[in-house]
Amino acid sequence: MQGDSRQKVILAATAVFVVAVLAVTLILKGSIGMQWILSGIVVGSIYTLVAMGFSIIYSSTRAINLAQGEFTMVGGMLMYTFTVQAKLPLWVGFLLAVLIVMILGAVFERAAIHPLKNPNMITIIIITIGFSIALRAAAKWIWGSNPVPARAFTGLAKSGKEIPVKIFGASLSPQSLWIVGLAALAVILVFIFFNKTMLGKGMRAAAENRDAASLVGVSYSTTSLIAWTMAAGLGAAAGAVIGPIQAAVFDVGTMLGLKGFAAAILGGLGSTQGAVAGGLILGILESVVAGGFSSGYKDALAFLILILVLLIRPEGLLGKPEAVKV
Amino acid sequence: MSRIRTTGSAIALLLALVVLAFAFTGCGSGSKPAPTGGTYKIGAVLSTSNQSAPLGQPEQNALLLLEKQINAKGGINGNKVKFIIEDDASDPASATVAINKLITQDKVLAVIGSSSTGATLAMVPTAEKDKVTLVCCAAGTKITDPVNPYIFRTPPTDSMALTKVLEYLKNNLKVTKVAVLHDANAFGTGGADELVAKAPSYGITVVSRQQYNSTDTDMTAQLTKIQQANPQALVVWGTNPGPSSIAKNMQTLGMKIPYIGSHGIANQSFISLAGPAANGVVFPGGRLLIPSTIPAGSPWATAVADFSKAYQAEYNAPINSFAAHGYDAGNIILDAIKTAGADPAAIRDQVEKTKDFAGVDGVYTYTTKDHNGLTTNDLIMIKIDNGKWVEAK
Amino acid sequence: MAAADKPDLLKSRTVPELTSGMRMYLIVAALILTVPLWARFIPGDVIHMDITNVMVLAGIYSCAVVGLNLLIGYAGQVSLGHSAFMGIGAYSVAILCTTFKWFPTWLGIIVGVLLSGVIGLLVGVPVLRLKGHYLALATLGLGEIAFILFRQMIDLTKGTVGITSIPPLSMFGFQFNSDLKQYYLVWVIVLLLLLFTINIVRSRVGRSLRALHSSEVAADAMGVNTARYKTYVFVLSAMFAGLAGALFALRQLYVNPESFTLTLSILLVTMVVVGGMGNLYGGIVGAIVLTFLPEVIKALPSFEKFNNYNLVLYGLLLIVFMIFWPRGIAYGLERGADLTSRGARHLHDRYRSRRIEGHSKDERDE
Repeated sequence: MQGDSRQKVILAATAVFVVAVLAVTLILKGSIGMQWILSGIVVGSIYTLVAMGFSIIYSSTRAINLAQGEFTMVGGMLMYTFTVQAKLPLWVGFLLAVLIVMILGAVFERAAIHPLKNPNMITIIIITIGFSIALRAAAKWIWGSNPVPARAFTGLAKSGKEIPVKIFGASLSPQSLWIVGLAALAVILVFIFFNKTMLGKGMRAAAENRDAASLVGVSYSTTSLIAWTMAAGLGAAAGAVIGPIQAAVFDVGTMLGLKGFAAAILGGLGSTQGAVAGGLILGILESVVAGGFSSGYKDALAFLILILVLLIRPEGLLGKPEAVKV
Repeated sequence: MSRIRTTGSAIALLLALVVLAFAFTGCGSGSKPAPTGGTYKIGAVLSTSNQSAPLGQPEQNALLLLEKQINAKGGINGNKVKFIIEDDASDPASATVAINKLITQDKVLAVIGSSSTGATLAMVPTAEKDKVTLVCCAAGTKITDPVNPYIFRTPPTDSMALTKVLEYLKNNLKVTKVAVLHDANAFGTGGADELVAKAPSYGITVVSRQQYNSTDTDMTAQLTKIQQANPQALVVWGTNPGPSSIAKNMQTLGMKIPYIGSHGIANQSFISLAGPAANGVVFPGGRLLIPSTIPAGSPWATAVADFSKAYQAEYNAPINSFAAHGYDAGNIILDAIKTAGADPAAIRDQVEKTKDFAGVDGVYTYTTKDHNGLTTNDLIMIKIDNGKWVEAK
Repeated sequence: MAAADKPDLLKSRTVPELTSGMRMYLIVAALILTVPLWARFIPGDVIHMDITNVMVLAGIYSCAVVGLNLLIGYAGQVSLGHSAFMGIGAYSVAILCTTFKWFPTWLGIIVGVLLSGVIGLLVGVPVLRLKGHYLALATLGLGEIAFILFRQMIDLTKGTVGITSIPPLSMFGFQFNSDLKQYYLVWVIVLLLLLFTINIVRSRVGRSLRALHSSEVAADAMGVNTARYKTYVFVLSAMFAGLAGALFALRQLYVNPESFTLTLSILLVTMVVVGGMGNLYGGIVGAIVLTFLPEVIKALPSFEKFNNYNLVLYGLLLIVFMIFWPRGIAYGLERGADLTSRGARHLHDRYRSRRIEGHSKDERDE
């Protein structure tokens, strides 16, 4: 089919491009290039986690949630409250943070998304924007405007100093491994859920065709609720882990959300593998651009990619084609 | 019915209304602020919410404390004092609305603010037009350069902080090659620009200049580029949380060169965010942060001690530079009112005549050519040692 | 009574009968233009705000929102990046009038408006092919890129430090340097833009827009050149936003990139939504409400305790309005006015019918 072969061409071209970038960076810059690439993978993992939140909601309900970054922010803030202020054990704080944000996501879904009858996507986008604004303001009220410290999970010497991890000649902070690990775990779990379990497959079906799905017993309403709760939980997990590297502050979710979203679009909304591809590619490219060219324009990269993808192939690298243009 | 005709009559009516309205309201300016019997009203526009809140909130606390203290002593010339504080939400447009409201509605005698340079610059035209003194708590050099008759400031300027840094680099560290990593915002960019311009006169070459965004997760790319240029020290110019991430990144990369920060990290927040990576970091700050560096027994030392005690008692928190900026601004205006009374023009002249006024930030002297008040002597270089501040030698 | 005869006599003269649309416009114009007359009599320390001053800012936003309303409300295309065009307008004035001291400020406005239009055209043509939320997201990306450019092109824009000492607007020696003068300048411009918009909506362009709003596919099938109309409205709204930006610069006399971020784009869209999408006056209502909202809240006595509430409120407003009142406040006002005038007409008819014998009621139609 023509669509399929076009996708193959684009995928191949992207793959070649990324490999070329990696090769050139390593050859020209040696171990410094390796540092950039590995740091890029860490940041990319963060983007992947955020992108997956977008994908889960989109693949289940066709909605785009622009408050996804704020779930991550609240997760980070709660982690601070539980593990730094209340000095609870790390795993307790982690579970509590994730649980609370999941409840938050569920409540929002029931209160603001569920009551809408046949909403168009713009309505939902604007509503989620309103939600993100309210969350940011509430976070500022509760935790103030200052960034909050976080406890690293492992890798601390007696003095409290972090012991860097050396990989291929580059140094990473130990927390980076946790981030990459969490991203990998999340990817595997979510993939299994949506592709191998009845519930997951049913949710994807409900997104394609609500009525047909409800005929076979999959309720769209339940699908929506589960999707939002999962995305909220995933976002919170991400926020809880990245704290030691990127301090949580009331507006940390804005950029993370936007970049994670660009990554999701790049990889293809609704595709788990897409979130991985998009996240990692964006993270590595950003790092290489900051290192090799200008750190000032680095942020523009994510938005440029967003626009280019929307114009050239809106379903991204690995997404399925939809009527996106008129 | 022709649409053109109705449109035409609509436009005609519109014009008529406009002319009428002008005739009624005239083009006169608002009335002059008159002292309201019994109370001296002073306005303040501070960033108590959004990104500059860490600056604006201590400033607000300080002014409220000052108001309490002065009124407890019977006020000034028998009149009570009231600070009317508005929040500009760290936004220049809101700041202009706020200062206008203070001047035209509340008829204040003078205005303090804002906490950040952008919001302050937005208020300058209004202060100038209405001829009201504006004492700001922001450090951007542009605010008082060139000198505007109505605009004064209390904090040490960014230039002064930079001069301290350059002196330290030259005299203490004795280095000739430095790199600078700065925040893309106005504060960081302004500082970096000045550093690059002034370094040669200290015999220092800036071998690498990189920037980062406040929202960035990771600065290793920039740091590795800097490493390649082989600097002997790194100057980091920005406000939290960027500098703390940089400190941690440097530790991860095993970079051993000295880290010289800006006065933007002269707060406990930097230490709690950076953790052990903060140790060894040096930055310029007011002497009030290490009171023992102030000549003992001087009016300045007394002012610092008194303010420290009162602030701690009232808010259960130690003082910081921002609280000092606000407190000094309030005090300078009140001091001027003692002589000038409720006359904004006289207040301006009196503020400009301030000489050897012992505040908390330092000892202030304004002249017609200098509306900054402080000098580099009011600053010291501070080193973080085991999570505490000591004077850097 | 003789009164019953008078209306007929008047009708026979050649006074153009005002349509209800024109009547509404004149009422709105009169209301707006007379604000400074009574605003100065309200004691400042009671309401804690300067109405005229805040209305100037509301007017500036209105310029942008009137255009955006046309795009979102009538043509059904959402843009989350209009802060870019306001920025272009503002920076055009700022750069030209501070770099070249002789450059006339009014010309700066024109340059800003034209530049916004040109850039609106260049980005609009490719981007408008996208549907619904994809268009919204693409415009979001464009707005962010514009902000980054404003920040990074330091040689041109002085970056984050900003451009100061912008001279106020002056035409033929007359300087618009006071609240009052700026008030009339801005609001007369808004009213003229509104007139322009009304004419568009009533014309073939307007009908085509409404057609494409309901269904682009159907409109296409009927021969409406949807691409051309979408682009036309997009460029128009970009130019209105550019005008707003230029006026903003000439009022604040200082610009920096922080004023033109995603937050501004969202604020503009909120004004359209809250005021009433697709209602002619909706944009203005939304702009006024949302510009006054923070001031009103600050004036409330319990303000000291709760900081940042106004943002929470604003976020909640957005959610609530989108769910329950997507037609916005203006629609509510219109219904109210409609009901009131119907009520008045009903009473009037009953009065007349008692006076005039033999006339049947069905001559008086609504």
